[in-house]
Amino acid sequence: MIVRILQLFWSFLQIGFTSFGGLSMIPLISSEMLGHGWMTSTEVSDIVAIAEMTPGPLGLNCATFAGIRVAGVAGALAANFGMLMPTFTICAAGAVFFEKFKNSSALKHVMTAVRPVCIGLIWAVIINLCLENYWVGGSVQPVSILIGLLGVYLLLKRKWSVPKVICVAAMLGVVFCR
Amino acid sequence: MREKLRSAWGLYLYFFKIGWFTFGGGWSIVAQMQTDFVEKKKVIDSQELLDIVSVGRSLPGTMIGNVAYLFGYHQCGVLGGVLAVLGIITPPLVILSIVTLFYHSFRDNVYVARALVGVRAVVAPVILSAVWKLQKAGSALPKPLFYGLMAVGCVLSFVFQISSVLVVLAGVAFGVGYHLMMRKKEAAEA
Repeated sequence: MIVRILQLFWSFLQIGFTSFGGLSMIPLISSEMLGHGWMTSTEVSDIVAIAEMTPGPLGLNCATFAGIRVAGVAGALAANFGMLMPTFTICAAGAVFFEKFKNSSALKHVMTAVRPVCIGLIWAVIINLCLENYWVGGSVQPVSILIGLLGVYLLLKRKWSVPKVICVAAMLGVVFCR
Repeated sequence: MREKLRSAWGLYLYFFKIGWFTFGGGWSIVAQMQTDFVEKKKVIDSQELLDIVSVGRSLPGTMIGNVAYLFGYHQCGVLGGVLAVLGIITPPLVILSIVTLFYHSFRDNVYVARALVGVRAVVAPVILSAVWKLQKAGSALPKPLFYGLMAVGCVLSFVFQISSVLVVLAGVAFGVGYHLMMRKKEAAEA
């Protein structure tokens, strides 16, 4: 049992350090899961789909799924912790550095240039999400588009909070989506 | 010390609350942080939020963990960072544990599937609402340059599928050039 928990920790530690989020980590997750016999390849594709739908990032959701399967709650915690190690090491060091030099003119100028690039990245995420959700399998999804437009209206015009909008969208989905 | 413990605990509770709604690879927490921290509580401004997002996105590991840590650390040190991270991962941990246990019934349930189609339909609008406000925050850069960099970032990532880490690094490289230029200008004016 302890060996399995350590293996889970080690696997997800590697996934954590070599992935920069999103779908780029799927090949590595897949090879780690299949290599240890923790999941079948159908389960890997199912869990990728489920992890995409449920809240939380893909890596952590896979960690929980594999962890529970292999070694129960302790396994899930170990796998999550492994996945978070980059945050507690590299990002923690980055935070110290960032707070320290935040007021230096060099870092200020660099960040001034990075901000619009980052906004551009977020736009790319939005375009990808639109393509995935409003254009499924080559056909337009009118119901999804209407729910999306309602979402824009509620968020920007009516100033609804994100959780409220997501809950309303889930209810509309149950009623109207096929 | 007590004060610090209390605000670190507050961070845990806040990130626990928004953790239930981290759809879309975690980008939707940016929208929630924008409304709560920038607009309502005013503890950071839009530019600081963007800095946290840029740094968090470009370091290895999960973005929401990094973003939560950076914000928590900014608010009250290492303890704040760690508790913010634990807060944001608790809800996905709970949800996925339940999903794992009822894996087959979850995967094959029509109502769950329909609800999730509905949720996915608003993930893009949620992120859009954040980027809309972030974009309006203003910048020291001249407008054409600002929108130009934005377009370049978007095209590199969407059209050329270049990893966002490299895109942010390209921004950093441009920023270094911008810094050298500004320093020259300041020296010339002085």
